Amino acid sequence: MLAYVVRRLWQFVPTLLGVVLLVFFLFNFVGGDPAYLLAGKISNPAQIENIRRQLGVDQPYAVQLWIFIKQVASGDFGASWSTNERVSEIFATRLGPSLTVLVPLLAISTLLAMAAAMLVAYVRGSLTDRAIMIGCTVGQSISILVYILVFQYVLAYQLGWFPVQGWGVSFAENLLRYSLLAIIVGVAVSLAPDIRLYRSFFLDEINQDYVRTARAKGLSEHRVMWVHVLRNAAIPIVTNILLQLPGLLAGAFLIERFFGIPGIGREVILAVERSDFPIIKAVTIYVAAATMIVNLAADLLYKAIDPRVQLK
Amino acid sequence: MSLLSVRDLAVDFRIDESTTLRAVKGISFDIAERSTVALVGESGSGKSVTALAIMGLLPRENARLHPASRIDYLGRNLLGLPGRELRALRGAEISMIFQEPMSSLNPVFTVGFQIAEALKQHRALPASQARPRALQLLGEVGLAEPQARLGAYPFQLSGGEQQRVMIAMAIACEPKLLIADEPTTALDVTVQRQILELIAGLQARRRMSVLFITHDLSLVGEIADQVVVMRDGEIREQGSVEKIFAAPQDPYTRALLACRPPLDRRPQRLPVIDDFMGGTGPKPGERKRGLRGDEPIILEARGLAKSFYFREGLFGKRELKAVKGASFKVAKGKTLGVVGESGSGKTTVGLLLMRLHKASGGAVLFEGRDLLPLPPKAAYSYKRRIQIVFQNPYASLNPRFTVGQILMEPMQIHGVGSGEAGRRALSLELLDKVGLAADSFAKYPHEFSGGQRQRIAIARALTLRPEVLICDESVSALDVSVQAQLLNLLQDLQDEYAMSYLFISHDLAVVRYMADQVMVMKDGEIVEIAGPDEIYSDPKHPYTRLLLSSMPGRAQQ
Amino acid sequence: MKASPGVWLLAWRRFERDRLGLACLVVVLIYGAVMAASAAGWIVRDWSEEVAVTYAPPTFLGPEAPRAAPAAVAETAPPGAREDYGIPDPLADDLAEIARELAGASATETRAATLAFGADKWGRDVLKKAVKGTETSLFVGLVAAALAAFLGTLFGALAGYQGGWIDDLFNWLYSVFTSIPYLLLVLSVAAVVNQKGVLTVILILGLTGWTGIFRLIRAEYMKHKVREYVLAADAIGASDGRRMFVHILPNVSHVVLVQLSLHVVLFIKSEVILSFLGFGVGVDTVSWGSMLAEAQSELILGKWWQIAAATFAMAVLVTAFSLLTDALRDALDPRLK
Repeated sequence: MLAYVVRRLWQFVPTLLGVVLLVFFLFNFVGGDPAYLLAGKISNPAQIENIRRQLGVDQPYAVQLWIFIKQVASGDFGASWSTNERVSEIFATRLGPSLTVLVPLLAISTLLAMAAAMLVAYVRGSLTDRAIMIGCTVGQSISILVYILVFQYVLAYQLGWFPVQGWGVSFAENLLRYSLLAIIVGVAVSLAPDIRLYRSFFLDEINQDYVRTARAKGLSEHRVMWVHVLRNAAIPIVTNILLQLPGLLAGAFLIERFFGIPGIGREVILAVERSDFPIIKAVTIYVAAATMIVNLAADLLYKAIDPRVQLK
Repeated sequence: MSLLSVRDLAVDFRIDESTTLRAVKGISFDIAERSTVALVGESGSGKSVTALAIMGLLPRENARLHPASRIDYLGRNLLGLPGRELRALRGAEISMIFQEPMSSLNPVFTVGFQIAEALKQHRALPASQARPRALQLLGEVGLAEPQARLGAYPFQLSGGEQQRVMIAMAIACEPKLLIADEPTTALDVTVQRQILELIAGLQARRRMSVLFITHDLSLVGEIADQVVVMRDGEIREQGSVEKIFAAPQDPYTRALLACRPPLDRRPQRLPVIDDFMGGTGPKPGERKRGLRGDEPIILEARGLAKSFYFREGLFGKRELKAVKGASFKVAKGKTLGVVGESGSGKTTVGLLLMRLHKASGGAVLFEGRDLLPLPPKAAYSYKRRIQIVFQNPYASLNPRFTVGQILMEPMQIHGVGSGEAGRRALSLELLDKVGLAADSFAKYPHEFSGGQRQRIAIARALTLRPEVLICDESVSALDVSVQAQLLNLLQDLQDEYAMSYLFISHDLAVVRYMADQVMVMKDGEIVEIAGPDEIYSDPKHPYTRLLLSSMPGRAQQ
Repeated sequence: MKASPGVWLLAWRRFERDRLGLACLVVVLIYGAVMAASAAGWIVRDWSEEVAVTYAPPTFLGPEAPRAAPAAVAETAPPGAREDYGIPDPLADDLAEIARELAGASATETRAATLAFGADKWGRDVLKKAVKGTETSLFVGLVAAALAAFLGTLFGALAGYQGGWIDDLFNWLYSVFTSIPYLLLVLSVAAVVNQKGVLTVILILGLTGWTGIFRLIRAEYMKHKVREYVLAADAIGASDGRRMFVHILPNVSHVVLVQLSLHVVLFIKSEVILSFLGFGVGVDTVSWGSMLAEAQSELILGKWWQIAAATFAMAVLVTAFSLLTDALRDALDPRLK
């Protein structure tokens, strides 16, 4: 097992290197001359040259790549081009708010989706099943942007049940007052696709031979579903949740942006709007590394809950 | 009063909105107390559906029971019982074991848990009592190291061990009726015998009844008291086992009994169902098989070896030796039979000869020339001269190609035949030779039965007029009656084209019938090579003797 | 000799019996026709003309109360400048002239008070914008999905069939691309490229979205490679290329089709987000995303028709496409539900 973990960690290196190269290629090569972006209206060649020297983009590409690799290794990506805040500090302060929204969001949406999916799988083929599935499809066909805008407008602006935007000081205040609407929107958006996915996991299990054996033993339908099927379906569900985590971070971008939650997602959206490259580069690298670690954790968890899996 | 009595059972399946299939067409039979009833039939006969109907396990979405059907268990009609009462019977008074033990056990729960669950459900035993009882049961079904096995997961056990666990689970609550649906079909021959003996022993000791479902009539002779023969959803004949075997009345029953290659004779042609149903009777004549010793050798393997490698640990590799140095010769125009159980390496040998797997060592001499080190271009011309027919008729034909495309493709690749028209004519000729209608040319594989698909596969192999044909378990997946037809076809083709065969199978009776020389393999090695009659009358190697004693129907010889 | 129905014909017959699937197909085809007509300029060519008053409400709501706009124009004099020092205002005549002309212009220029589905801030017809937006989103979705499907299938086939270092290479590429969450990747590329336009969006989405298809097709190829019909093809002498594309590909094409359909939906939604954030299509054309962007400020003012139109148009298309995909899947691979 230790050998497996070590081998997987070792495999991170080429992938991370690949991500570094991709990011470098995108931002330093394709991205064009950032000096013009930052210089704005100044078209004095000397000043532009000055900026370029400051940013280090006047060096040949190989040197730039080496500097970037050093940055990644040391975790110091320099300063934001717009606010001049140190990028690493930006992360430290923004992680908390992101998690305050994400963790409850994940927990609630998973539980709700699992319960709903199980019920739907139980009555499969019936009109209820069809109706709920079509309802999910319709729900999924509305853009997340609309959910955000409408929920914000109706629940916060018109009815005044929640603050439209903002963030407080204490954790409790943040969780209960400012995050709630964001969590509600997040759950609403992810409910439909999750129900569909989990339903398919449950249905895959219900058609297996061991379910027939369980019924042949005289077990109640209740026990067959809640003990035998659930335990098997839990495997893909749990691994799916873990694998979704990095993606969730991204989906939260828009939610954070519109509800004014000072998390990583909002930083990224702002950075993208302002072409603030250091932040975008750093986020990409961090998230890529986090994804790889989460994938490894998912595989290990898979091994823990599925006795058939032997790590090779 | 009999234990279970089935009356006018009829089951329909709704395939889609417009099609309904009548799987069981109104059958009636009885199971007496403390007796074994064998329900025999080929695929599609409705035997499994009958078993599921008794247990109430038919899929509710698309299975419909005819209102006149009755299944009486100790006087109560099972088909009318409310769910709760039926569930109380299932597992406690009527139990069932299935064909595929691997998928029939829940993969995420231990063996001990699954057995104890049955006890907790019906006997309301607390865990402290259920566990030792489960241990006892594992011992009773003959599982080695039962203590260790209690905490094992299904995938850690072999097929035979899994089936023993299923049996333990089924008898845990002392049922009066055990339904066994093809319990040994997926197992090796030696294991098959052990499981059969186990079930027979349990039946006697526990005084229960067994409904044994199988497609193999020869198995039945040893364990059953009564036999019920089904075909196409109907009962063709039923009676005591002595009567059925000694004096079968129905032509289908007679055909089933006759189509298996007999162990003491070698008829020129195996009788097939049509011989009986059409009324003409089997053809006479014996066929001689065996080698004189001076025949020219067309194919020779020397020290053939194949290893598979798996990664293990941080840098290590694990080696699995599938074939460990096999040497044999195939005489021109004759058949070499290869016999072994799963894991013996027999299929791998066939694939190595065809260069479909890369050999780890050894040589394959075709008319004296070593094929293995040849570069792909040179080996290309040899592909025409050795061909293969695979085991699974449902997987060896490309589902997206028409039969015509399947037959013409090898000709197109090797430039056989003059143009499209010429190749088409050749294809039609081959179809005729393998006994298929000319309009098969434009059809797709899914429109044909398993036996017909194997005919297409044989026709494909013949398009290149090979000199050597490897039959890799080519008839193993087929019903007995269809098997007989295919074996006759293969022999006809060998007579006509003077092909040499390498006939691989796990079925000893078939190999004895088809081969001029028999090679027995175990764990990647050849343990014995001898003539077909000698190997059966005077086996030298202990493994060969074990195989022979495990053969069903041997006791009757 | 009568040809037997192949897989596709059989699937079509199954599909025909699914009424919901057929209805969705019709809806999607209608959208497709609208897209083509819009692209050819047969309809909504004049979408950007400002034909209504600002935020004109939909016809079924009735027009707004007329504003006192012309009157305000006449009051050109700044407050607190009422004192007349007896000096004649040299500009007075001109100003009065201008005021008259403006009043006259607003009177003669007929701007609609209501439109079928309302107008946006510049008085453009919301309904026409929604239709034009169909062109953008559907076109982007289809072409980007085709690109992603092509790349994903090609890479998957090579990786799954060949194995070895080719597989390692593609897997490395796959893990690099999937380490970055999709939206972040797309936004990063958009930020860098910093160029708007339909072609850019298609390239961005297509070149980053091939990963899902790649993984599935690779798994399929690995599964089929060891199937007996492929071994049989090897036995009769078929080359690797022939085995990959003549034998295996037709058996995998139904997976590709379903994935293509799913990705169209995914890319339509992604394009909307990109356009919303300003990274999608340029200002010379309209997307549902840009309509939603405008709707941000409109909602506060209580003008809901633009967001409604965009949402409705998009929801109908995406729902129909999703249900169509489900029906397609069932027709191609029927299993008891």
